[in-house]
Amino acid sequence: MTTAATVAAGGRIPSGKLAIWWFLASEIMTFGGLLAAFVLCRFAGGGWEDQAAHVNARIAAVNTLVLLTSSLSMVQAHRAVEEGSRGRAATFLLITVLLGLTFLGVKGFEYSREIEHGFTPSTAPFWSFYYGLTGLHALHVLAGVLANAALWIAALRGRGWARVAPRVEYAGLYWHFVDVVWIFLFPLVYLS
Amino acid sequence: MSDTARFPSYVAIWSWLVALLVVGLMCAFLPFGKAMAIFLIFTVAVAKAFLVARHYMHLRSESLLIYAIAGLPVLLLIGLTIALVPDIVFRR
Amino acid sequence: MSEPAHGEPGFWRRYVFSTDHKMIGRQYLFLGLVMALVGAASAYVIRWQLAWPESQIPLTRWIPEPAMYDGHLDPSFYNQLVTMHGTIMVFFVAMPILLGALGNFLLPLMIGADDMALPRLNMMSFWTIFTAAVVLTSSFFVHGGPAAAGWTAYPPLSDDPSYTGVDWGQNLWLLALALEFASFLMGGINFLTTAINMRAPGLGFFRLPLMVWMQLTAAVLFMLSVGPLIAGAVMLLLDRTIGTAFFLPQRGGDPLLWQHLFWFFGHPEVYVVLLPGVGAVLEVLPVFTRKPVFGYRTIVYSTIVSGLLSFIVWAHHMFVAGIDPRLATPFSITTILISVPFAIIVFAMIASLWGGSITFPTPMLFALGFLVTFLVGGVTGIFNGSAAVDIFIHGTYFVVAHFHYTLFPTVFFGGFAGIYFWYPKIFGRMMNEALGKLHFWLTFIGFNATFIPMFLLGMGGHMRRIYNPLQYDFLKPLAPVNQFATLAMILLLLGQIPFVLNFFGSLRYGAKAADNPWGANTLEWQTSSPPPHGNFATPPAVHRGPYDYSLPGAAKDFAPQHRALPAAAARGA
Repeated sequence: MTTAATVAAGGRIPSGKLAIWWFLASEIMTFGGLLAAFVLCRFAGGGWEDQAAHVNARIAAVNTLVLLTSSLSMVQAHRAVEEGSRGRAATFLLITVLLGLTFLGVKGFEYSREIEHGFTPSTAPFWSFYYGLTGLHALHVLAGVLANAALWIAALRGRGWARVAPRVEYAGLYWHFVDVVWIFLFPLVYLS
Repeated sequence: MSDTARFPSYVAIWSWLVALLVVGLMCAFLPFGKAMAIFLIFTVAVAKAFLVARHYMHLRSESLLIYAIAGLPVLLLIGLTIALVPDIVFRR
Repeated sequence: MSEPAHGEPGFWRRYVFSTDHKMIGRQYLFLGLVMALVGAASAYVIRWQLAWPESQIPLTRWIPEPAMYDGHLDPSFYNQLVTMHGTIMVFFVAMPILLGALGNFLLPLMIGADDMALPRLNMMSFWTIFTAAVVLTSSFFVHGGPAAAGWTAYPPLSDDPSYTGVDWGQNLWLLALALEFASFLMGGINFLTTAINMRAPGLGFFRLPLMVWMQLTAAVLFMLSVGPLIAGAVMLLLDRTIGTAFFLPQRGGDPLLWQHLFWFFGHPEVYVVLLPGVGAVLEVLPVFTRKPVFGYRTIVYSTIVSGLLSFIVWAHHMFVAGIDPRLATPFSITTILISVPFAIIVFAMIASLWGGSITFPTPMLFALGFLVTFLVGGVTGIFNGSAAVDIFIHGTYFVVAHFHYTLFPTVFFGGFAGIYFWYPKIFGRMMNEALGKLHFWLTFIGFNATFIPMFLLGMGGHMRRIYNPLQYDFLKPLAPVNQFATLAMILLLLGQIPFVLNFFGSLRYGAKAADNPWGANTLEWQTSSPPPHGNFATPPAVHRGPYDYSLPGAAKDFAPQHRALPAAAARGA
């Protein structure tokens, strides 16, 4: 499926898309580096299973569902842009923003419960990685929420929308990446 | 070009993702051996990531360059992880 | 994507918050040169201390306690200076000058574009590194002073404030580095997107000037290697602030993990710095030999191969760190291997001189200086790369000499070659030749005299990062060597004065530069000096490669890239 932006760029990959993919390449290395360190330290042994048993896989599973659904709404926003429907794009962007905020809210709730039970970042190495990984991910979710919110506002206003609309695709690529990170994070942190 | 040909059914992909999520959860809580469970869970994760990348990020219709940009980091990470196994996993 | 016609921008939009890649390139250049002064000043204090330990260091009485006691150096401040010297030189001098200044200024011009693909991102990248430089400099003034754990920041030393006595200084160091990484990530994205999408018609990848290939390879190396270190830096910062257990053994962490994450980036990083310097030399050589670069494609393929290999050599920095001994052999092999593509590139550069009509203006002197000195650096890398030898020379001045014989050539010989060569294009004025030649000779002699002795010191067992060598009986006989190196370094520092005078004086008093004062082929020379807003009056189309000098039967000894092939040549005559 050739996007409108690609057609406009004469069949070449539009600069915005290329730029986002390069950015994602470096982000893959960053999150991948942190995840690799986690996996390696995990397999080094040291009683992580006891600590790991205290995370709540069910809450996290709900959050996974939230994030997967937000990816659906994000790609529907992109499709709406391709089909030229500013209104539907705005709606789907709003849904994505709300789902993203839900994810953050649930994460915050999780953190507060864990801290109440005495599990802070300095409790044990497992918790260092837990807070480090999910915290870094949450910051990326927040950045995505802000970007999508800005696009939602632009879609509502309508003025200058034609110039801004291709960015929905690029923001979508970033958002899907954040989802993919969680797809790996969730089983590695919560299920093993 | 009809809509269904231009756009895959994103909702269908989403249902697959949810199904895989359930499968992954089951793998975690069913009585598989630990190594087996981890292998299955990780395979499920890879499958889900593959679906998102291919269909939501439109990798299926992108050029070789985009594949290279996305794929090279993954290869490097695998290399980094393997190289670190002797030092980090098997530290004295 | 050029901006629509608009009125003249005001001072702030034009000189400060500019989105024009040429202005941004100049901004990076000034940042790099200013930070070089700070880096050089720290080197001066370090070297004086090594030559005459515990003495009163001239010109330092103004530095207050607890860093210095009326000109006497505090040992902790020594560690801080060593740390800041390395950090500043690598991240705030080498990268801004070679990538930020030369890369930004030249890339769009060399590909015939009117600006970068993402001009506002470009502006943001400069202001990000500017902020990073401010943050890093501010760390000198916080309680406890700047970071003190070496530019490599190994935990546990860097992890627990009580070990160095430095608290906020190290945190600010991490923050400054994070901002610097963000800045060059933005820049790298811009370089790659621009080169892929905005080349002039007819400019296929194998007609690109080699400088462009070098900048792009450097961008890819940086983008793919910095991620794990960003992860590591986040982990270190969390360890220091909220008590996580990533690297501290007493909390269950692993210090070796940091070293792996750091050097996985650290090694590709040195090639990120090296390649643009090589690129500058490769642009200068053909112009002053009036013949094509030897082995264009070979150089391109060698560059790509060395880039790939650079990702699998990193543990050669860790041979004595306590890694699994079975890792030593594979990493030794890959390290020796990587010398092959670099040797090929150096041989190609030497072959490029053969049979040429060589002239020796200042840019050419610096380019030749690069060849001579980098050769020493590359060869000594092989000593370090073989694990058995490294066991003896790791952590000694042999390593210091090796990396100064690679970094200094690329940043200062390659970088100066580039600055002298492109100064007319960047500033529209010619630099003074006599001052340039004086600068070269003082730099060349001063540099070699400073660092050759360090090979000897290293083989004699002189350790790195020590405050007072005379504490050790076995180092006392080597004291004259240290003193010689320090005197040579002072000559090297003084030798930069002609450059400073030349650089700033020529801005005002230099002869106005023509479009193409050197008679060069690449596209940046086919427009005015400096180029106008939008770079080219009419967008060029490219008909030939970049190094068609002294073509047989041609009227002139150079053939700009946008000149069509003469009919006779096109017919294969």
